[in-house]
Amino acid sequence: MPDFAPFFVSGLATAATYVLAAVGIVVLYRASGVVNFAQGAVGALAAFVSWAIVQHGGPDVVGWIAGILVAVALSLFYGRVLAPRLAYGDPVMRAVATLSFALILLGFIDYIWGEAPRKLRLPTDTSGFEWLGVRITYTRAVAFGIAATATVAIMTFLARSRLGLQMRALANNRDLSAMLGVRVLRADAYAWVISGVLAGVSGILLADLQRLSGIALTFAVIPAIAAAVIGRFASLPATVAGGLVIGVCEALLTPVPLIGPFRTAVPFLFAVIALLWMQRRATYVYR
Amino acid sequence: MKWKSTLVGLGAGAIAACLGSSAYAADLKCGLSNGKAATGAPIVIGGIVSITGPDNFSSSGFAAKAYFDCVNANGGINGRPIKYIMEDDGWNPEQASQDAGKLINDEKAVALVGNMSFVDCGANQGIYEKADIMAVAGVGVPRDCFFQKNYVTTNAGPRVSNTKTLMYLAKKFPGIKRFVCFAPNIPNVGEWSCAGAVGWIKRNGGEAKTIVFDPGSLDATSIVLEAMAFKPDVISVSAPKGLAVPIFAAAEEQGLIDKAHWMGPASLYNPTFPPAISKAWDGKVWVDMELNSADATTPDNQNWRGVLDKYATPDLPRDTFSQAGYLAARVTTEALLKMDPAKIDRASVTAALRGVKRFDSDMFCAPWYIGDGPRHNPNHTGPVSLVQGGKLVPLVNACIDSQDPELDDVHAYEKTIGISK
Amino acid sequence: MSEQTLAPAGALRVNPTWIVGVLVALAALYELPDLLQDYWLRTFNSVVALAICSLSASLLFAQLGMVSLAQYGLLGVGGWFALRISHGLGVPFEIALLAGGVAAAIVGLIVGLPALRMRGLYLAIITLMMAGAIQVLISAFGFPDGGAGILGKSDTTRQMMARPFVADSDSAYFRYSLVVLALCYALVQAHIRSRPGRAWAMIRRGEVCAIACGVDIVAYKVWAFTLAGFLAGIAGGLLAGGVGQLDGSAFPASQSIMVFALTIVGGAYSWFGPIAAGLLLRAFPALLNDFHVDGNIATMVFGAGLLHALITAPQGVAGQIAGAGASLRKLVGGGKAAA
Repeated sequence: MPDFAPFFVSGLATAATYVLAAVGIVVLYRASGVVNFAQGAVGALAAFVSWAIVQHGGPDVVGWIAGILVAVALSLFYGRVLAPRLAYGDPVMRAVATLSFALILLGFIDYIWGEAPRKLRLPTDTSGFEWLGVRITYTRAVAFGIAATATVAIMTFLARSRLGLQMRALANNRDLSAMLGVRVLRADAYAWVISGVLAGVSGILLADLQRLSGIALTFAVIPAIAAAVIGRFASLPATVAGGLVIGVCEALLTPVPLIGPFRTAVPFLFAVIALLWMQRRATYVYR
Repeated sequence: MKWKSTLVGLGAGAIAACLGSSAYAADLKCGLSNGKAATGAPIVIGGIVSITGPDNFSSSGFAAKAYFDCVNANGGINGRPIKYIMEDDGWNPEQASQDAGKLINDEKAVALVGNMSFVDCGANQGIYEKADIMAVAGVGVPRDCFFQKNYVTTNAGPRVSNTKTLMYLAKKFPGIKRFVCFAPNIPNVGEWSCAGAVGWIKRNGGEAKTIVFDPGSLDATSIVLEAMAFKPDVISVSAPKGLAVPIFAAAEEQGLIDKAHWMGPASLYNPTFPPAISKAWDGKVWVDMELNSADATTPDNQNWRGVLDKYATPDLPRDTFSQAGYLAARVTTEALLKMDPAKIDRASVTAALRGVKRFDSDMFCAPWYIGDGPRHNPNHTGPVSLVQGGKLVPLVNACIDSQDPELDDVHAYEKTIGISK
Repeated sequence: MSEQTLAPAGALRVNPTWIVGVLVALAALYELPDLLQDYWLRTFNSVVALAICSLSASLLFAQLGMVSLAQYGLLGVGGWFALRISHGLGVPFEIALLAGGVAAAIVGLIVGLPALRMRGLYLAIITLMMAGAIQVLISAFGFPDGGAGILGKSDTTRQMMARPFVADSDSAYFRYSLVVLALCYALVQAHIRSRPGRAWAMIRRGEVCAIACGVDIVAYKVWAFTLAGFLAGIAGGLLAGGVGQLDGSAFPASQSIMVFALTIVGGAYSWFGPIAAGLLLRAFPALLNDFHVDGNIATMVFGAGLLHALITAPQGVAGQIAGAGASLRKLVGGGKAAA
């Protein structure tokens, strides 16, 4: 019987990755009704800009701020300029449109920087603490902390503030909200800005925790969607819990003999089970 | 006066530069080396590399192109220039197949030189056999590259790479008994690349474990922990450098640098690898080399550098892969030069290449060859390097020959053509 | 919804110009392989396979309004079984192709079952998750290449998939693929014009009404998913035969999203849509690669083109072509209404 304790801890460490990305996706979905496949790509660009500034001798902090600003700018550009022009209104096509934006960004990143083994370093990498025989750097703790703080802050914002209320109204029914006097474009813009900040921060952290690669960071969004599914795309605490469960279960399967190599399928299986559970009562669509 | 001393300094610098560069350029040996531009019916040679995608795998092709440009400026193939056409397959087997169709059936290439691709060997095996065209590749990685009649590489391959580095470590640190090998679950690359080393240590009384991981996985810590649970003496990270770096980072995070000897195959022998892992790994990672050091001052190596400096862009990496591409181009050129320039077509070129029974270069540890066997793995001997001071420092001049039973048929063939005793 | 009639677009009205057009197209297609370079012949083999895959996605979307983001994964499953049967049993290509289709149909059924109650985004997401799971399995197992055992991985030289007896050369294989494409279209049309098509149309208009009319919703949705899976499997077998093998790393979930996205761009409601999608998916990147455009620039152009199409053209490329054709007819015919 292998010792599972260290894998439990390493699973929590990986879960930080899933949670960060998933929170960003759910927040934007709650605020604007769009599943943003481009979040990973926007984050990747933020990480590359940040890395490039540090490579050229700039201070770390300038790099991070520049990266996050780039992410916000891109997010805002997509949300206010491109997204409203889509000829399709339904959620699936709007999600597919974000994928095309992701492709443009990915092509751009690989064209400028190419794929090479790079590591983004943060000051918190060097120190850490130990738990159950596994060492956790402060970077991972910071990632968790940011995810948790973001969750709490955004929940409070959406529930308590006027702008949050307007965003929720918009996500629910755009036309009715416009009729009721909600300033649609302004609320939309704020939603994309928040999404951009989250994408930028998670991109920089993920580039440190995983690797600084355009392709890897862009498509890390797919397992993150699995965590978002468990949160029903609505509940942030459930998303965080979902991300934790996925990360831990995936890691716990590592020493299991036959299933081990397939454990990367865990996020998808869990998402399917969660979806089945959510839709267990038959609903008919009235037209 | 200031301007006078500046002038003297400039003059001295200019003279030194002229001397330095002419020392390179004057000694460049490409083909006939007669300094005459080649005019005549071009000989079409193709190359398939992987530029777009998870990694830029193309330095062999560009190095071959540089060498062929040099040949064309130096008399060509007995007066005929080489038209080298390089195609990108983007790590996509469909695209590789289209490129092969284009080069072989549309452009009517007589040979393929300087290939460097993960998918080319598998995707195009059928078309290479059907057209009976030889592919003298720079770099091959999957198993398919070493098990074809029409494909030969100047590199050794990851399986040989892992085996001989483990052999070296076992000799240097007596008492090594337990071995773990990380491999990505890319079919025909992962487990196969570890199998040689795993088999060797088992035959010598040890135990081994191969840990296969999904390249798309974001969890390097777990596999590192799984390795340590086996309590290994040696750990090999047998993966492309982009996938290897997160594993080293996770190992460092868990404080495992000194818990085992760490090694990697020649995929890690690249100048971008040491800076990507932290300084804590200095002196702790052994990396295999398929060819002699890129910094060696031996004549052929200097020639390679000179050719790249003159005919290639400065951003082309001066690494083992571009060495491999240069060698592939050189052996092809020398084979073509021995032929009648009026009778150069695919069939005669294939026969000429298969007739290469010995090719020497100071970049190889042992004589290289192509031969007419059913498969080719002529490079199975090479040195080892150590990560030190942010660079890869070659260790010993003695070359290690991989003792892998899978190479028995290759060793037997070498005896028949007189390469080995 | 009011623009969509219950009868499928391009309804068969026997029309002399239409027949002449078809004959000309057939003649051109027969001659085409001999005029094309090998590079394009191979590209078009892939185009046909992807067109069939896109047909399966457009079937689900146009007939039932269901978004499936798993079709390329099902193509991989079909290809896997086709390779395994062909290598393991040495049967003719046609049998391997059908076996791949049936296998993918069964997997499509398994994908379909949880999806029966879902619509819109949740359905898309669950199919995306299935595609992700298929990606993990395929990259872990790899594709069979002539070895023994269940997984069929060879220890030494790999084997290529045997092509059909009648179609060994590239140009013969292209004609063969076109025949298969036509048969797949015929299969889909046969469904649309008969009972399943009418049932699907009712379900699309309103599930409650369909139940009231006695239509078994579950059965017909399952039938649609199974048929879509079968088509994707056939496409996989064709692709495997074209290249000779398939690569385990070439089936990421993102490719399935691309197939769906380009099906919409091509035009899901028109017969030409899947062909346009196949061309965009394979011929367009091949064109850029032929001119040695940096692959990353090709990715950017692709993304930008997709975005542009999503912004400007709800009826897709096929719709735009049809619209252009209509305006041309008006210009020339002067007053005669478009068909």
